[in-house]
This record gives sequence, structure tokens and C-alpha cells, in this order.
Amino acid sequence: MSSVEALLATPLSDYSRWMVTLNEPGLTEEANWIARAQRSDAKAFESLYRLHVGKVYGLCLRMTGSVAEAEDCTQEAFIQAWSKLDRFRGDSAFSTWMHRIAVNAVLGRKRKTSREQDRVQLASEVSPAPVSMADTGELRDLANAVDRLPEGARHVFVLHAVYGYSHDETGKMLDIAPGTSKAQLHRARRLLAQQLQEQGFEA
Amino acid sequence: MNNTDDDRLTTAASRLATEISPQRDLWPGIEEAIARPKRSRWTPMFAQAAAVVLLVGASSMVTYFVVKEDQRVVEVLQPTLLTETASFAGRASLGAEYQQAHGSVASQLDVELQRLSPEARADVERNLAVIRHAITDINQALDEEPDNQLLQELLASAYRDELAVMQRVGSLTQQVMSRQDI
Repeated sequence: MSSVEALLATPLSDYSRWMVTLNEPGLTEEANWIARAQRSDAKAFESLYRLHVGKVYGLCLRMTGSVAEAEDCTQEAFIQAWSKLDRFRGDSAFSTWMHRIAVNAVLGRKRKTSREQDRVQLASEVSPAPVSMADTGELRDLANAVDRLPEGARHVFVLHAVYGYSHDETGKMLDIAPGTSKAQLHRARRLLAQQLQEQGFEA
Repeated sequence: MNNTDDDRLTTAASRLATEISPQRDLWPGIEEAIARPKRSRWTPMFAQAAAVVLLVGASSMVTYFVVKEDQRVVEVLQPTLLTETASFAGRASLGAEYQQAHGSVASQLDVELQRLSPEARADVERNLAVIRHAITDINQALDEEPDNQLLQELLASAYRDELAVMQRVGSLTQQVMSRQDI
């Protein structure tokens, strides 16, 4: 049997003999994972998850202040990302794209289940406070103070002051005007200063 | 609160950790959720591609009979065009094994075609052109819908059809030569 005959006798279901999926030359490892995940490669998507879960979970935890909610929002964000991957065109970094989805997951969860009071309760149930465990020294005081901010001020402070997004970007993520973002930041700083002054915080 | 306090707060906030590892692995839950099959979408593009491949199939059969008629000494051929299901990753490249097989028959195709009558040769060339046009069309459809399994199957079938037609031309003329040599 010639090689042609052997190939023609190969069932189409054994497609690996017919076609191979190649990494696209010139792309970074992350870009190749993205390209492969866009073609429904779950293994490549897991690699993206491993690379970005810390950034996504960190944002969710700082925005919600609750381990349970942050875990749910992180999972929801990656599930949403999987379903929307074909829309990712690389106009922004993948981490930024994931952050937007994570913020939507947090806001969506809040809209569905108005759990602000639950959040405070859940956060206080976790000992020591989950957010501050990621930080060291006096920064734990700041992290705890951020966690106690009202939701609107906390979201803006986290996105702008911690993650470095501009007021325009923060406003788009939270669906508020840039002016509102500035106002919430001012409010957050005032409240934080009060809290930290009481604790003798020295940054 | 003055500007100095603001600056100190801003500096301190920028030092807060932006990456925090979850206390448990969240991947199993995500993996389970994304493993649920996506609803398949049947669009006019797919219908068009399916029609193209049906045409390709018809062309392949026409080629088979035309060539067979032209070379009456050939008695039995085993068409190997199968319609089995396949599951491709989108935007796949042709594998080395296919490239090698394709190259081996393509290099001889021109020579083999010269052994056919002008009419039969024109039919084969026309049908190969139909198949190659279909491959181009399906690849364009895959650019828009890279994850569509139907298109992936159609693409594999079209490549296979092309190879089968090319191989059939070669095997027919070789058999003719063998019979004539006797």
C-alpha cells in the first residue's frame, strides 16, 4: 500500500494524520495560547487561566472583600472569557480584557443579589482578613481600610489607585462618568485618611 | 486631608499586591462549565460550503467515470471517498503526511494527464479546479467561523477528494500501461 493509499484509507476521524495544528510563528507563548483557545483548545485556555488567575482573583477579592464571592466571580469571569474569546482582537492586553470581564462579573453578581450586607458579614467571618493577607506590614492596615470603604468608593479606589486605570478607563469599566470616578476617588481618600489617621498609619 | 496625605496614600495604594493566588484551585469548576457543548450554529455560509462540497463529491464521481470510460482496460477501482465524521481544531494546517502524499501524486499528475484523451483531461482538470475552489471557499468560511466542526469536516473531505482524484488519475494510467505492456 502506497503512502497515498494509506492516507486515503485513514478514517477522517483520525484527523491528526491529515492536519496538524501549529503554533503561529512570531507570536508570544501567551498569544499562541489565546489563538489556540479561540479554536476551542481547553488546554491552552487552562494555560491562560494559570497565567492570569492571580490578577483576576486579586481584583475580584479587592472589589468584593470576600473569598467566596471572589472565587465565584473569578470562575464566572473565566467562563465568560471562554464564551467571548472569539471577540478578543488583541486591541488591549489580555490581562486588561480579563479585568474588564472580572469587573462585569463582580458588578453582575452585585446586581443579581444585593449582598452588600452579606459581604461585610462574610469578610468578617474570615480571619485574618483575606485581602490584607496578600500584603505586608502597614499595608495590611490600608488593605483592611479599603475593604471597609463603601462599595462605589472602593471599586473606584481599587481600579484607579491600586490597579492604575485612568478615570476614563475606570468609568467605562464601572459604567459611570469619569467625573463620578474622580468624585468617588476623592471620597475614598477622605474616608481612608480618616480611618488610617485613627490607626496612626504611616505610609 | 492635604496633598501630602494624598501622595502618601497613592504611593501606598500602588504598593498593594495586584496578584493574589486563590486559596483553592478554581480550574476544575471552570473546566466543567466550559466542557458543556456549545450550541451549533447553522448559517447560510455553512449551507453554501456544504453545497460546494456536494458539488465536489459529484465532480469526483464524474471524474471517476470519465476516466474509467476513457481507459476501458481498467476493470475495478475502489473509490475511497468516505463520509465519516471528524473533529478538527480550527485553522489547522495540513499535516506532513498529507503534504508528502500530495506531493508524490502531484509531481506525476501532469505526466499522467497527458496519457488521457483531451476530453477526459479537460474533465479532470475542471473537477480538480472545482475542488480547489471549494477548498478556498471553505477556508474563507473557517476564517469567520474557525471553531465550526462542520466546516472543518468539509475542509478535510475536500482535501481528501482532491487527493483521491489525483491518485485515481495516476493509478488508472499506470494500470493502462501495465496492461498494454503485457
